[in-house]
Amino acid sequence: MSKLFIIGFKDLRVMFRDRAALILMLAAPFVLTLGLGLVTGGFNQSTGAVSNIPVVVVNNDDGMLGQSLANLFASAELNDLFDVTREPDAAAARRLVDEGTTAAAVLIPAGFTGSIIPDSQTGQSGDLVRVEVYRDPGRPVSSGVAQAVVESFISQVETGRIGGQIAVEQLLASGAILPADIPQVVQTMSQGPAGQADRDIIQVRNTATDAAGPNEIDPMAFLAPGMAMLFLMYTVSLGGRSILDERREGTLARMLSTPTRGSQVLTGKTFGIYFVGVAQMMILIVVSSLLFRLDWGDPLAVFVLVLSIVAGAAGWGLLLAAVAKTPSQVSSVGMAMALLFGLIGGSFFGGTITGPLGTLSKITPNSWGQDGFAMLARGDSLVDLLPVIAALWIMCFVLVGVAVAIFNRKGMLQR
Amino acid sequence: MSKVLSIAWKDTQVRFASRSEILFFLLLPILFTALIGQFSSGQADADRRVAVLVVNQDGGPLATDLIDTINSSTAIRAEVLDASEAARRFDDRDAPALLTIPAGFEAALRSGEPVELAMETDATNLNSLVAEQGVRAAAGVVGRPLAAALLSVDQAEQVRPFAGDAERIAFFDSSLAAARTLTASAPVRVEATSAVESDDASWNGYAFASSGQLIIWTLIPLLGTAAIFAFERETGTLQRLLTTATRKSTYLSGVVTGQLGMGLVQMAILVGFGALAFKINWGDKPAALAVVLVAFGLAAVAMGVMLGTLVRSSRQASGVSIMLGMTLGLLGGCMWPLEFFPPAVQRIVHLVPTTWAMEALTDISMRGAGLPQVMPNIAVLLGFAALFFVLGVWRFRYE
Repeated sequence: MSKLFIIGFKDLRVMFRDRAALILMLAAPFVLTLGLGLVTGGFNQSTGAVSNIPVVVVNNDDGMLGQSLANLFASAELNDLFDVTREPDAAAARRLVDEGTTAAAVLIPAGFTGSIIPDSQTGQSGDLVRVEVYRDPGRPVSSGVAQAVVESFISQVETGRIGGQIAVEQLLASGAILPADIPQVVQTMSQGPAGQADRDIIQVRNTATDAAGPNEIDPMAFLAPGMAMLFLMYTVSLGGRSILDERREGTLARMLSTPTRGSQVLTGKTFGIYFVGVAQMMILIVVSSLLFRLDWGDPLAVFVLVLSIVAGAAGWGLLLAAVAKTPSQVSSVGMAMALLFGLIGGSFFGGTITGPLGTLSKITPNSWGQDGFAMLARGDSLVDLLPVIAALWIMCFVLVGVAVAIFNRKGMLQR
Repeated sequence: MSKVLSIAWKDTQVRFASRSEILFFLLLPILFTALIGQFSSGQADADRRVAVLVVNQDGGPLATDLIDTINSSTAIRAEVLDASEAARRFDDRDAPALLTIPAGFEAALRSGEPVELAMETDATNLNSLVAEQGVRAAAGVVGRPLAAALLSVDQAEQVRPFAGDAERIAFFDSSLAAARTLTASAPVRVEATSAVESDDASWNGYAFASSGQLIIWTLIPLLGTAAIFAFERETGTLQRLLTTATRKSTYLSGVVTGQLGMGLVQMAILVGFGALAFKINWGDKPAALAVVLVAFGLAAVAMGVMLGTLVRSSRQASGVSIMLGMTLGLLGGCMWPLEFFPPAVQRIVHLVPTTWAMEALTDISMRGAGLPQVMPNIAVLLGFAALFFVLGVWRFRYE
């Protein structure tokens, strides 16, 4: 047993003395996590949602609805969401969008109010005119939010219009009022409370965000481990590479000339890959949790999850070493594997991938690990995590088994 | 000149000596573009709509109406399940949202009482925002005629009070029927337009993914120019050059020409592939696109030259170029659109060249910009190139 640990710790020491390797093992995920913290607003603990969307509003309508819509964008309620500028000229506003200065232009045409609210004298409304949201296709989300606000406003106005129209029609039909009373009735209605038009009759309450409060989940809690797992896959390939390096440099043959069996050497090397992976993950987790004040959940569960993720990853590292012909092949294929696993396993962007690719992503430790960290961030316990942990260890044993079979067939570990 | 070309050709041969280089030169960039393009344009086809798990405890017509409305969305779809199955699927993170329609939904709405739908979202899933917005929109669509009918009752009551509950209920029912007809035939009063129109719904996502991935995957090997210097120093070939009549400027020009040439070929292939396979509209101004790509290539290779004077070994150079390439790509908006960044950060990231390159490619491919519009970006990229070249050449040593 001691031989296995000696080989394992030797690899750990060698790896942590290799400055070039440390760049991709520790510096790269750390720098990328810092970058993520910056771009998601992780440093100031904001949610990173879209805010301060630059919008230009052009109101050519002289009625109350145009004014209300323009005021809505500038209201205190939407103050954080939009940076609004007013502009008298529609062409100039479009230019601002074309130049990429603003995300959307809200163009309220003349006659907008008159097209919805009937004239108090004639009882007729004007021809249909449309509010135009001129969107920057380069900012689909921001301009989409501006469009959603306009649509919601119109929806409320429309509800009011239809409600009023129906009320009048029904009162007329029941004989409660006469046609000659309509202007007076419309006047009374417009002075009354807006009632249901101002609120949603079917309200949607997000229990997750309402209940979150101080425990609100920070996107960094699953983006930071994503970066660590991305580079973990690279680390395990480096570990695999070291087996081929030792064979090439003759140290493998020298080890086998001592009273050490091939299986012991392989197990020791696997321990090496494993120790390095665990050390890498734990350093990154501790540093990023201190830096971003992240709550990862139950510390014991986090540690067990890390042990399991590294086991799954180490299986891949060993398999790669068994299949590859040269050390440089392990490096390049290892890097490609790290990036691909990161992409389909959700390490880059979070989220769950659906469809056949989602099924395929289950071969990656990244996908299981991402699920596990998300569960912990949600407050799940070690027991809830058991299926994830089991899946990762099964992955480890299957991959190591296949790798050992290939090593034996190639006779790589024979004296 | 022939010396410059010889050095460039030699570097090209060295780079492609290993077949695995094709992985990084072509296969991975294309794969990443395809996958990220698909994620970014999640609304491209029905199967990729975000799933919302729905527990229908009411079962009335209005609840069915709400589920049908969710299913008619282009962004989300409903999966109706019993409570325990839905909870299990949600816990397994199969879907980002779980919506419960409570028993008594229909009765409450018919009596004019607002109803609250409880929705649980998985905050660790970025699609949860899409799911929540989609459900809110569907609730609005179903709720609008109801709200109009209730408003009608309120307003009628202002004019003339109802004789009793029976009359009020009858008035509400007929108002609701009328409101549904009127809502269904209500004119469209909002129109969304943009400078560049496209029939293809997936166009935006792929254009974004393609621009971003092109920048990252060409930036990393161009920064890797640093590794060539380090490798030649390690193997002693750089010192051997000293014994020939080759000036420092000739050697550097040769390396830069080779790397830039390979970078431009890679960019051209990725642009062509994007246009053919993903139907990306790279604009009708090829000159603007070409100049932006050359300016970006120059800035990137110059950065590689400067980096070459800072690193100690070729392995260190490879690691640093991957790390820098990915970080600059992230900060430049190549992985996530800049619009998601906090406003102050959107300004800070203009300190890196990738932001300028990404903005220029977005202007060309999504905003239909030509050379005059992207000129400021080109000038900044050339400025970065000049700065990095000067620093790199000044610090360059053979040993």
